[in-house]
Amino acid sequence: MNEVTRHEAQANVPARERRSRAMRPPVDIYEENDALFVVADMPGVTREGLNVEVDGNLLSIEGEIRIDMPEGLTATYAEAQAQRYERRFTLSHEIDTAAIEARLENGVLHLRLPRKERHRSRRIEIKAA
Amino acid sequence: MFGDLKRFDNGIGSGFDWFRPWLDEIFQEGAADIRSVPRGSFPMINVGRTDDAVRVYVLAAGLAQDDLDISVQDNVLTLRGRRDALPGEHEGDRKRPCFRRERFDGEFVRAISLPEGIDVERAEARCHDGVFEIHLPKREELKPRRIDIQAA
Repeated sequence: MNEVTRHEAQANVPARERRSRAMRPPVDIYEENDALFVVADMPGVTREGLNVEVDGNLLSIEGEIRIDMPEGLTATYAEAQAQRYERRFTLSHEIDTAAIEARLENGVLHLRLPRKERHRSRRIEIKAA
Repeated sequence: MFGDLKRFDNGIGSGFDWFRPWLDEIFQEGAADIRSVPRGSFPMINVGRTDDAVRVYVLAAGLAQDDLDISVQDNVLTLRGRRDALPGEHEGDRKRPCFRRERFDGEFVRAISLPEGIDVERAEARCHDGVFEIHLPKREELKPRRIDIQAA
């Protein structure tokens, strides 16, 4: 239900306010020690331009590219064709969204998404009879 | 100068805008530049120019000052380097489960043709946040010269 209303609200926004084009940053996702790790390439993004948000179980990462360009620069070849990065993920309920950690280094975003206590794998003790 | 940009071959990528370059490819003869790379290669490169210089922006996430090798010879700018996507992955015997691996890992080489008249001696580069800005000034005498219009 929330998805539907959010989508409708965006359709009524005038064209100039609609979000500009964004690039999808490539990510690596792996699991280790009861946590999920997400690593995303977002070159040109600084801490001020980075936004990592969790809304319910939707994780979104957004970054503004900040590069100083001189006046009167004409583009002759561009592989990066947008000013921002954006990507979203749906998280499963086992993730402790309040404990997500983020770190940005050389344009690479590192996220650590720990699993909730009770969802961690637990070894079962075998007691002697 | 950069007139023949079609020489930079862009293969079909996974981005949302793959359709247009794919159509371009169908309706033109394909003879890609021998040094070109498919779209979406690492690192991403943007090139622009002003009246007095050519500027190359290299978006290489994860790389710092010493990780990229930049050289110019015979009007070709060559970028060389190595990017370890997940440092520390090869340590330990236990292989951790990997759900997704999209980021580039390994060595790369990119070559870009430069226009004539770059003053290599005055070239400079700087980097921040995984972006390398290469400033290639044009030789003084080759800058465009504005012509003033005198009253008759």
